[in-house]
Amino acid sequence: MNQLLLACQILPLAALLIIMIGGRSEQGITTISYWFSHAMGISIFLLLSVWALSGFPHYEYRWFTLYQQDDYSFPVLFYLDKVSAAYLFCVWTIFAIIVKYCRVYLHRESGYKRFFQTIFGFVFGLNLIVLSGNIDMLFAGWEIVGISSFLLIAFYRHRAQPIRNALRAYTIYRFCDVGLLLGAWMSHLLFHESSHFSELHGLFENPEVLQNNYPAIFMLSWLIILAASGKSAQFPFCFWLPRAMEGPTPSSAIFYGALSIHLGVFLLLRMLPIWSSEFLPRLVVFVIGLCTVVVGSVSEKTQSNIKGQIAYASIVQVGFMFMELSLGLESLVLLHFMGNAFLRCYQLLVSPSIVTHLLRLEGAVDGDFNIINAGKMGFLPTTIRDTLPEVLQNTLYVFALQEGNLERLVKKLLWEPLKRLGGRINGMRFVFRRWMLAAVAVPALLALAGVDPARDLLALLVSVVMVMAAVSAFAQKHDPIKVWNVVALSSFLAAVAVWLMNPEFKIDIVLFLSGIMPAWMLGHWVLEKMLEREDFAATPFVFRAMAETRPRLALLLFLSFLGLVGFPITPAFLGEDLLLTLASDRHPWFALPITITFVLNGVAAARVFLRLCMGRPTEISYVEEGK
Amino acid sequence: MISQTFKPDQTSGGFDLDASIDFVSNWLPIQGPIKDFVHHNILHAFQHLPFHDGLAVAGKLFGARSYLPMDDYQALYRQGRIKDFALDWALRQTGCDPERQQAIRATLFESDKHSHFPPLSLANHGLRNAWLTRLEIDLNALVHPIIFRLLSSFLDQGISRWTMPRNGERFWESVLRLTQNSLLPLYPFHEPAVAGMLKDSLDDIIVKCLQKIVGDERHYRQYLLELLLSHPGWSGMVRVIEQNPQSLLVKRAISIKELLAVELMCELAIVSHRRPAGFPAIADLPDLDSLQLLDEKLLQPKVPLKFRVWHEAMEWALYTELLMAIRDDRDAAAERARAGGRPAMQGLFCIDDRECSIRRNLEEVNPGIETFGAAGFFGVDFFYKGLDDAYPVAQCPVVITPRHLVLESRDEPQADNQGRKLDFDKMHYTSHSMFRGWLYTQTLGLGYAVRMAWEVFRPTGKLPNIRTLSEISDAHTHLHLLRESDEPNADGHLLGFSLEEMADRVGGLLRNIGLTDYFAPLVVVVAHGSSSVNNPHFAAYDCGACSGKPGAPNARAFASMANHPGVRGILRERGIDIPDATCFLAAMHNTSCDEIVYFDEHDLVNPPLPLLQRFKADIETALERNAHERCRWFELAPQSGGHAASHQHVKSRASSIFEPRPEYDHSNNLYCIVGRRDLSRNLFMDRRSFLHSYQPDTDPHGEILSRILAAIFPVCGGISLQYMFSRLDNSVYGSGTKLPHNVIGLLGVANGVEGDLRTGLTQQMIEVHEPARLLLVIEQAPAVIDQAIARLPGLKDWPENEWVRMAACLPETRDMFLYAGGGWLPVELPADLASPRGADSQHIYTGRDRTIPVHRLTGSMS
Repeated sequence: MNQLLLACQILPLAALLIIMIGGRSEQGITTISYWFSHAMGISIFLLLSVWALSGFPHYEYRWFTLYQQDDYSFPVLFYLDKVSAAYLFCVWTIFAIIVKYCRVYLHRESGYKRFFQTIFGFVFGLNLIVLSGNIDMLFAGWEIVGISSFLLIAFYRHRAQPIRNALRAYTIYRFCDVGLLLGAWMSHLLFHESSHFSELHGLFENPEVLQNNYPAIFMLSWLIILAASGKSAQFPFCFWLPRAMEGPTPSSAIFYGALSIHLGVFLLLRMLPIWSSEFLPRLVVFVIGLCTVVVGSVSEKTQSNIKGQIAYASIVQVGFMFMELSLGLESLVLLHFMGNAFLRCYQLLVSPSIVTHLLRLEGAVDGDFNIINAGKMGFLPTTIRDTLPEVLQNTLYVFALQEGNLERLVKKLLWEPLKRLGGRINGMRFVFRRWMLAAVAVPALLALAGVDPARDLLALLVSVVMVMAAVSAFAQKHDPIKVWNVVALSSFLAAVAVWLMNPEFKIDIVLFLSGIMPAWMLGHWVLEKMLEREDFAATPFVFRAMAETRPRLALLLFLSFLGLVGFPITPAFLGEDLLLTLASDRHPWFALPITITFVLNGVAAARVFLRLCMGRPTEISYVEEGK
Repeated sequence: MISQTFKPDQTSGGFDLDASIDFVSNWLPIQGPIKDFVHHNILHAFQHLPFHDGLAVAGKLFGARSYLPMDDYQALYRQGRIKDFALDWALRQTGCDPERQQAIRATLFESDKHSHFPPLSLANHGLRNAWLTRLEIDLNALVHPIIFRLLSSFLDQGISRWTMPRNGERFWESVLRLTQNSLLPLYPFHEPAVAGMLKDSLDDIIVKCLQKIVGDERHYRQYLLELLLSHPGWSGMVRVIEQNPQSLLVKRAISIKELLAVELMCELAIVSHRRPAGFPAIADLPDLDSLQLLDEKLLQPKVPLKFRVWHEAMEWALYTELLMAIRDDRDAAAERARAGGRPAMQGLFCIDDRECSIRRNLEEVNPGIETFGAAGFFGVDFFYKGLDDAYPVAQCPVVITPRHLVLESRDEPQADNQGRKLDFDKMHYTSHSMFRGWLYTQTLGLGYAVRMAWEVFRPTGKLPNIRTLSEISDAHTHLHLLRESDEPNADGHLLGFSLEEMADRVGGLLRNIGLTDYFAPLVVVVAHGSSSVNNPHFAAYDCGACSGKPGAPNARAFASMANHPGVRGILRERGIDIPDATCFLAAMHNTSCDEIVYFDEHDLVNPPLPLLQRFKADIETALERNAHERCRWFELAPQSGGHAASHQHVKSRASSIFEPRPEYDHSNNLYCIVGRRDLSRNLFMDRRSFLHSYQPDTDPHGEILSRILAAIFPVCGGISLQYMFSRLDNSVYGSGTKLPHNVIGLLGVANGVEGDLRTGLTQQMIEVHEPARLLLVIEQAPAVIDQAIARLPGLKDWPENEWVRMAACLPETRDMFLYAGGGWLPVELPADLASPRGADSQHIYTGRDRTIPVHRLTGSMS
């Protein structure tokens, strides 16, 4: 069983790597993906059979411990119970179907290789989430799914709109990662050792745990709910899902129809003991579900495009799942999840047939919908058509048309204040900014030299500057190199702040920086090279298509972007987690600034990557290259 | 067609809004709603210019490529497809002096990876873009989603559950109602910068917004153009609907002016909100003069000679492949004509290039079958409403507006008990967001795992109750053809035809194709359609002469009219004597899965049964061969298997939900031959030719020819040019890859949820197409062709500006002339080259994966 668990995990990763180093031949990629998807299917099937035969146990497997220091440990831990089993079953079925489907559907498409790489990356992340044994592992998978989702939305990188929508989805993901990152930290804080999912139930049977940690558990519930509603496009984040339907139809089907959209539900199921122990979080989940159902089903009525309509229908069902969860109907949720996943996946796959269906068959057959009479239908169900005064009807229609105004609301509350603040910081006089840095650097150097100023105060100062730097990078639009440097600077300041608070953890800080620094330097070099013949500031909003004109540099930039934002390919990922845990042991307030910094840095760096690498090459992009 | 000549605004004193709107909107795409996919010249607005000039001007407006990359032409030269004589010919066509020609020739083989990229254009590098860069606002990303949302909700034909307009409101009235009479503001029309304008007239709003945004009357018109070109798909759709409201099933009233007013207000509101302290107008831009301006200079064509020469050389090389084969085949054809006897069976096919190969294969299987080609509506134009249709559709080329309506009905009335019943088989088409959805997903959702797996892993194994095109017409229906009363119905259509009208149509077609004598006992009228699943562009695959519908109703109508004794009586008086023993049978060829169905067989009186059996057997063999021949283009098809394996493959293509290419449609269409079958009977043309039958000796004054050409220019020429431009720049003229397409309001497809409508053909349709203009070869004397064209003043641009190349072939001597620059030039073919020969079709195409030059078939004995 352990081997099977590992196989489920490693096979997609192996497929990803083999496709990556392999050639561009379609036949080769097909063969690899065929064998690996079957091998993965068989191992999932065997795993589930063995698990079922041994009586559906709550099974935990600790492979090895990645990192251990004092009471912090990062074990590679897997966990299988009926929730994972249901999800795993869906992953297996849908993935097998999609791979077979895409073999023909993507035939001759440029980006065939890219697509299969990304989709295997996605499944790798998905299995990691589904089989994760603790919240740290889950976070790693969460990040991988986020990045592959981002890449697939921007799959058609010649057009500005997919790129913008990819960034939109990514910022929401990133924002909701706050929930998970802080959640991981809080669970360390609460349960001291890395919390095993297998032990959660047991923990909460002890009423003392609850009483002693009431505020912490309350906070943790909030964070988990935030993370879940972002990933599942629940209120108030509904708007990103329909706009994410930019990739090839099957990728939309597997991500936003079937699997990715239900990850929020998975998270809630996993953390059920934590948040369902109290009434208030349950109520919050219920209300979120309810709001989603209302907004989603009203918005769905005015979607005049088929994919948007399916997206909203799916969101509404997930809203129902949230409500069911808050009522404690776990098994119903699992059934509901599977039904919704398969139905939406199928609906999206056959969505192009809607024209034939409505024009050639439907009109004569179905009394529910008649195209000739559509004009007379009015815009409301007959039951309330006559009773609602016109103003209310118009209001309802506008509400539906603008999808509840959620997008502008979120933008206004979250991003615009940050942008304004960043604009202010960037508008500050240069000398002033230098002074500020000096004000931080001098005491830090003193501290390094052994003189001991008020370390805590200093750490506070450093973290303020860190957040300001991150905000400044977020709002900077004219100079990608500056963005890059400031992002690195703020990560560096984070390390400094931790060191000031806890000077004894040098090794952990070095671990963190060993991920960040090379990524920064590599990225800096790549950017210099990319921009040497460009006047970026003259046209800061043009997508520069370097992924096609200079593919090697673009790949390097992508890798260094992943490194810089702490994606689980460098030690920085571990370091991020470590910093948070170490520093906030003594100073819990520090968790907030450092998380904000990570989130903003991620968005800023992603924007640099998009601006430079995506887009359609034109004559001008060659001309400026010096031809 | 309005010819676009540039007139500066200032002369008329001030800015004339209506004239400007007319001026700019003429350049918008004219593709209508997706339900009728009518192939047309994408650059119709430039048709008054010579071909290369039109292409150059269009490139500067839209930012599109006009030719293939240089590498592609050079590769064709290296492969020997473009020969030196063709290059020399193309150089001569430039009209330059010999030295200059040599100079051009010297540059042809330089490596040039860049100059085929789109030129600087109004759409991408105009005033508006410069202004937005200056403002640092990504206005398109902010305004387009709002405008597209309003437009698609307003024009929606049945996808959304709630409709936006009420009681025939205009677009502007709807927007106004939602803005002024709602508790929630309709973003952004309540912004203070524009809220005050709502009460003004449209003209005032547009001018006021332009004053603030542009600031200088001289640039108003250019701004409007760039604004519309920032989303050509939606602008074009609005224009099409404004000019032809009939193109929608559910009528909507909208105009470009309303669109402009709404969009300009939206832009002004957002810009003012973002820049509360004020913003510079376009007139304030410092480097205004260095930008692309809409003036005479911009509209002056600048043809890149290098590319023009390469392109014409490629075309000439391809054209001569056919012309040489016709020349070389002269003696063999004469011999055949002497030996030929009366055919045992006759087949009447559509002009379509996909029928080119099925005709050849059928004649190879049974040389006793004679085939004819005609436009696939078979001269019978009517509105048709089948049993399963929601509404009547026009079954004729788009240039004709029919007056008759034909209904299909069931022979035995069937208890219609399934009418209102909830159809579980189709439930996934409605998305069911709320409680019903909750119930369904809980109960039926898991079933979709099975259905999905089945359809993906076993595409040809059908689940019960799913019908395909070939089954659509079941045997027990008939068409109401004979008119019973002369009262038109509510829409002004006549229900059916009178005997006189039938005789007009049947006689007209028979005369067009020259079949007025020597009728065989069995004449099969073969229409065509194409079955595909999961394909919003399905209409583009059906019969172009039926405006993108399967031609079955026309074939049925034609056959039963021609079988009618009364009609035959009238025809006999008019000199067409159809023997009593002759029997017309309607059929339809499914071009994607190569199957055939017959109609109304049981209605035939005394059918020649042995012949019928023979024909069915022969065409089955021909269909298998045809499938095998088509499979050479499909990389995933079994390449080594037999005919049956290929046939199985094309069938599964047509029924797989994951197959974006059910067939390659008109890809590689290149020739059109109007003449006797003798001219082309012995030629292997690789499915590249439209074929129309025509008897030159019955038409001394070109009357018949002008009728034929009236359909050929718009239909075949339209197909050819749409394929060509979609291939040359698939992201501007075409609609890109179909994989991310999303169906919008049954109007068209877009990328994603908030993209612009995409016009033109998808990448999956044109990827193997060789972009060259159509060569129309007419078997007739040039003087007669001139007379015929003189009767078609509206279509003169096609041949005269060389959007279609035209050649005349003298009936007896086969001397050939090319129409160029308004006159006929004798064609000089290289005497030392002979066209290649092959024993039979399969020998020729086996093992080849590109287009194949025209071969002469020598028959298996040699």
